[in-house]
Amino acid sequence: MAFYEVYSHPALIRYKTSVCTKATLFLVAILCLTYISPLLVAYRSQGFWTKRSTYEEQPVVRYRYEALLVAATSPLGDHVTWSTFPYLNNMLGPNFRIPAVSVREEDQNQDGKLDLLIFKLQLPLRADEQVYSVQLLLTFSYQLHRMSTVVMQTLAYVQHSSSVPGAKLFIGGDLRLQQRAPLAHRGLNNIYNVSVIDGSSPFVSSYDLENIMRSYQSRNLTTVLSCPSPVWTLGRAEGSPFELSAEIRYPLEVISYRPGFWETIKLAWIQYVSVLLIFLWVSERVQRFVFQNQVLTTVPVAVEKLHLS
Amino acid sequence: MSAISSLVPARFLTIIAHLVIVITIFWSRENNVKASLPLEFTQEQYDSEDQKLVVALAVTLGLFAIELSGFFSGVSMFNCSQGLLSTGAHASASVALLFFLFEQWELDIYWAILAICSVLPAVVEIILFVGVFGLKKKPL
Repeated sequence: MAFYEVYSHPALIRYKTSVCTKATLFLVAILCLTYISPLLVAYRSQGFWTKRSTYEEQPVVRYRYEALLVAATSPLGDHVTWSTFPYLNNMLGPNFRIPAVSVREEDQNQDGKLDLLIFKLQLPLRADEQVYSVQLLLTFSYQLHRMSTVVMQTLAYVQHSSSVPGAKLFIGGDLRLQQRAPLAHRGLNNIYNVSVIDGSSPFVSSYDLENIMRSYQSRNLTTVLSCPSPVWTLGRAEGSPFELSAEIRYPLEVISYRPGFWETIKLAWIQYVSVLLIFLWVSERVQRFVFQNQVLTTVPVAVEKLHLS
Repeated sequence: MSAISSLVPARFLTIIAHLVIVITIFWSRENNVKASLPLEFTQEQYDSEDQKLVVALAVTLGLFAIELSGFFSGVSMFNCSQGLLSTGAHASASVALLFFLFEQWELDIYWAILAICSVLPAVVEIILFVGVFGLKKKPL
């Protein structure tokens, strides 16, 4: 009949020695080599502690129904201005011009977050006026909720000028988030929840575009309208208003953040343990060779009883 | 003793591997010297750092000579503890010097590798020499 293995079990042998022996020294050395080397390997091959990671989120963006428009109506620099701030409008005097504005926000994919702003403006002009340049500033409220809660007010600034008078300006672009530093992974970030333009200020300096943009750009978290190709249409008919139409999309953002303590530890632990497994295997083989063959003298004690007593 | 029959060749191989890497570093030491110097250096600074590395490598070769003489003469060939220590030290030295060569480490690290992985076995070898030839103990 064929001879086969029906059952097997490991038999444990304990190797004992006192504390001040070469065997103890060997054990200490091999333990250090086994547990410290994977740390060195994982650290020196870069990326042990993740300092920056990314996540995707569709932000909650709403147009705040505040706008500031400056249009140059002659090559010499005469301009007309319009805004939604009553203090500024009162100070403009003869430069104040009221356009017809229609605004609509759409949620195209029905996920409860708005995706598109359609802004149409028609600026009436006198017979001797032509539009040579347009500066438009729109403000938004911007919120992120997935990791840290970010609540802020941001703007989109568009500027286009041409030496040829135009009839229409079309701006199509995305409202993109710009970060100078990674965001936190939790908590509330509302330091930028202040109006970009202070509508309650009676001073003309608070409506100066340069001051507004200077203080806005000093923020660490801003949005920028990325519009690579505005379309300036020529040939305005006599008596027809200047048309400005903007379609601003709120795209899905890839946001970079600093991972928290547990995420960092989890990723570092995965790296450490996967290298540790190899070193544990090697150390096991070395220790088995050393102790089984009595390279360093120890007292082997077999745990299994060889006979009934 | 089956231990010795595997330990002796292992010790010989690790010593030779360490020796080969030391000789390789001797012939391509330029990058290691440049890594120890600042970005702007003069020829005198280069020569002095080069000299230091040559001295370190020469000391290593001297310690090799001590250990190999003890090994081949039989003084420590059949000594289990020295065999284990020597194998471990030279294997660690081979790995460390491999990184020293490829990652172009600085000179200061070489002194540390020298102290732990070359001086230690050589010192034990000298102790064994003294034990066998001086105190007339059996070489085992």
